[in-house]
Amino acid sequence: MMMKNWSLRWMTIAAVAALLSACGALPPTSLPPASQPRPEQGPGSSQTQSRPPPQEAPIEQPRPVPKQFHLGPASLSLVSQAHKQSQSGDLGGAAATLERALRIEPNNPLLWIELGQVRLSENDGDQADSMGRKAIGLATGDAQAQSVAWRLVADSLRLRHRNSEAAEADQKAAGLAASITAR
Amino acid sequence: MARSRWKKVFWSSALVVLTVGAISGAVWYVYLDRLVSSQFEGRRWTLPAHVYASPLELYAGLQLTQAEVKHELERLQYRRVERLERPGTYRQQGARIDVALRPAAFADEARPAFILSIQCGAAAIDSLRDSNGQDMPIVRLEPLMIGSIFPIHGEDRIVVTPDEVPPMLPAALKAVEDRKFDRHHGVDPEALLRALWVDMRAGQFEQGGSTLTQQLVKSYFLDPRRDVSRKAREAVMAFALESHFSKADLMNAYINEIFLGQDGDRAIHGFGLASQFYFGKPLSELDTSEIAVMVAIVRGPSYYDPRRHAKRAQARRDLVLKLMAEQHVITQPQAQAAIAKPLGVLARGAGSYYPGYLDFVRRVLRRDYREEDLTKAGLRIYTSLEPRAQEQAEQALDRELTRLDKGKYPSASLEGAVVVTTPQSGDVIAIVGGRNVAFDGFNRALDGRRPMGSLIKPFIYLTALETGRYNAATVIQDQPVQIRLTNGELWRPENFTHQTYGPVPLVHALAESLNLATVGLGMDVGLPKIAQTLQRFGLDRPAPQVPAMLLGSVEVTPLEAAQLYNGLANGGFRNPLRAVRAVISDDGKAVKAFPLQVTPVAPPEAVYAVDRMMEQVMDRGTGRPARPVLPANLVVAGKSGTSSDLRDSWFAGFSGSHVVVVWVGYDADLPTGLTGSQGALPVWARLMAGMQETSWEAPMPETLAETWIDYGTGERVEKGCSQDAVPIAVPVGTQLPVKAGCGQNALQSIVERAGEWLRDIIR
Repeated sequence: MMMKNWSLRWMTIAAVAALLSACGALPPTSLPPASQPRPEQGPGSSQTQSRPPPQEAPIEQPRPVPKQFHLGPASLSLVSQAHKQSQSGDLGGAAATLERALRIEPNNPLLWIELGQVRLSENDGDQADSMGRKAIGLATGDAQAQSVAWRLVADSLRLRHRNSEAAEADQKAAGLAASITAR
Repeated sequence: MARSRWKKVFWSSALVVLTVGAISGAVWYVYLDRLVSSQFEGRRWTLPAHVYASPLELYAGLQLTQAEVKHELERLQYRRVERLERPGTYRQQGARIDVALRPAAFADEARPAFILSIQCGAAAIDSLRDSNGQDMPIVRLEPLMIGSIFPIHGEDRIVVTPDEVPPMLPAALKAVEDRKFDRHHGVDPEALLRALWVDMRAGQFEQGGSTLTQQLVKSYFLDPRRDVSRKAREAVMAFALESHFSKADLMNAYINEIFLGQDGDRAIHGFGLASQFYFGKPLSELDTSEIAVMVAIVRGPSYYDPRRHAKRAQARRDLVLKLMAEQHVITQPQAQAAIAKPLGVLARGAGSYYPGYLDFVRRVLRRDYREEDLTKAGLRIYTSLEPRAQEQAEQALDRELTRLDKGKYPSASLEGAVVVTTPQSGDVIAIVGGRNVAFDGFNRALDGRRPMGSLIKPFIYLTALETGRYNAATVIQDQPVQIRLTNGELWRPENFTHQTYGPVPLVHALAESLNLATVGLGMDVGLPKIAQTLQRFGLDRPAPQVPAMLLGSVEVTPLEAAQLYNGLANGGFRNPLRAVRAVISDDGKAVKAFPLQVTPVAPPEAVYAVDRMMEQVMDRGTGRPARPVLPANLVVAGKSGTSSDLRDSWFAGFSGSHVVVVWVGYDADLPTGLTGSQGALPVWARLMAGMQETSWEAPMPETLAETWIDYGTGERVEKGCSQDAVPIAVPVGTQLPVKAGCGQNALQSIVERAGEWLRDIIR
């Protein structure tokens, strides 16, 4: 229950963020209380006490650095082994093999996507969803990987009959895929 | 007349007695025969579950020097040779190491023996090739056996099949224990009479004179009393056994059955386990001297214990070798060469004995398995333990406690516990339950439930960020607080320094672990929400919602603290901490898998921002003393914890590769005189510096941006403008007051951004 709430919330946050950034303007979040100078700061800072400190323009989002994730040779060989295991119906074996790869490259989103796809084949929508989201976070800057991860999330949502959320996830995947071709 | 009548009575009585005697004798024999053959036939060895560490994965690029590769091979008792012979040996050819790998059973596959060539670079493995020169992308070494789950006061054994037994072993056993084994019918009357004669002269039982079959019977069916009636039973049963079974069957049974040593509660049975217990390698790899040592032990595992009575055991081994030569099992020169060797027995506790970790494994398994299945069904348990990390955790704790323990209390010594996990998978790779690692007793890592102190603070700050009303630069007041408790008392918490610090940004309050600022923040956010955060991150019970909770009155074990911090290190995803990966049955089938699981439990943005604040704990705050010990560029995040009166000293934190939690304190809950930074942090830092760590560098969520603020005031500054500038992550669009005279310098900013861009690309 808790998990669903959280993933829902996460989804909403991400969806809103995506929507807003698409509009090109983010309203500033609530302002922190104005800074008070500390007592030990001395007379130099007393000026700021009478005058509110100057506010700078809202902190901008840095341009994400585009990158592309690859698998190392060891992981690559394990992934192809896992594919063979999956094809022969040995999903447990495939998952165990992918876990070996993840121990070598725990931050590689491609491996989380692979593992999520095995979970999907096992009809474990919750874990497929979580792993898709883990991959999305790790794949920051890699629109290609993020797009595939959103597809995984969409599939996991469809598996659980959450079709409207699945459609949203699909849209994100498509948007990311389009951004690559546009570049 | 009377005489002949008495005679008749005598003879008929004698006949009756004889008949009854013969019948009961026959019945007795049939009974014993049945007992022996049915039990022997039907008996399956009770096989304790054997527990294995995580196998080391070798691949090109793995950060392992040639010396470290050799160390790993030697941990598995690979022997260095000039020319590769059988599995279990390796040779070095310049930068290349050729290994004759043993056959190995992993959780997911069995692999035959083969020869692997490892080309080593300066700091990492260059390439792996098989004997045909074919590149191999990845190869696992066999997993180290780290123990077994045996019944209380029970038997532990590794069963070997005849083809795993070096032929020299049965030959040596016959030469020393039972020369006529191949010819007799279970009993060797000559040997028995000789033994009886010696015993009578000595007035007590000194010599056994038992055949191997009798020894087997004794071990199988009889209690250890030594009297004549038992001796008779033993002889009859041995005879019965011989009439039903072949010599080869009996020899194999003997090799798997016989008692060869005691290890605390654990009785070492059979040569398969004894070989591991004394030499750390499979029976098939033992050399002449080592086989002779084992045969020497047979006669009296405690009297000839090669660890406790090395001289005695060595004298007996030499005698065994001489007998082997006399009986032409080996040549005289072979015997002489073996006699010249040392005993070669592993030091106790060297290598593969991790009671603290095994304790955790047992508890996990007992949730799912009956005791009987664990101790008798021959299960193979594959765990996450990494021997290298475990070794370093044990050493780090021992070294630092030795340094810190100044004998403050004559009757109590300073204790500690360490837990190490890998954040992305939640694997528990090391557990140290106390200073004396060989002691299988109170496990502080699992059972030492203590107030967590300031270890709770990141969860308070996280909950605050989740409300959306705070960010890392938000200024809060560190000022005196008074809270009326439900019992009417007034609670007046204080800072560690008994001072107040006024307005401070969140990042500063967390890094310096300011109590008053935190209590104010926590009361504003609300205790129920904070308690919920702890449960989301994996605390398995509700935390008592009292104001003192904000300063860490919540009691947790080091393992529970590791569960909580693992979620912070894993970007707000919770993994159930995992010691067991898979359970495999006797016949190689997967019985149960414990797959990797992740569950999102907090918004990644809030977790990322808190993690960045915890970076400042290390760079500026209470974690700073670790800096000189750690590699200069290693990015780590952490938090100290100290309970009231300095009774508990905690440190919890993570790099990119590991979460480490350390607790230091006294079992008797005495004040240690140490803060978290003084007690637990040195252990944490030594361990982090010793393991090969990668920096914590999670990608920043796209809705956040990095900015620099003044550590004291929380005002926005340019990076180089002030000594007190610290980086934080805030939601995109956040507006912060700018420090006077430290506004944006366009040129500098551009140069910096270019630098950052370059750094990102290099990453």
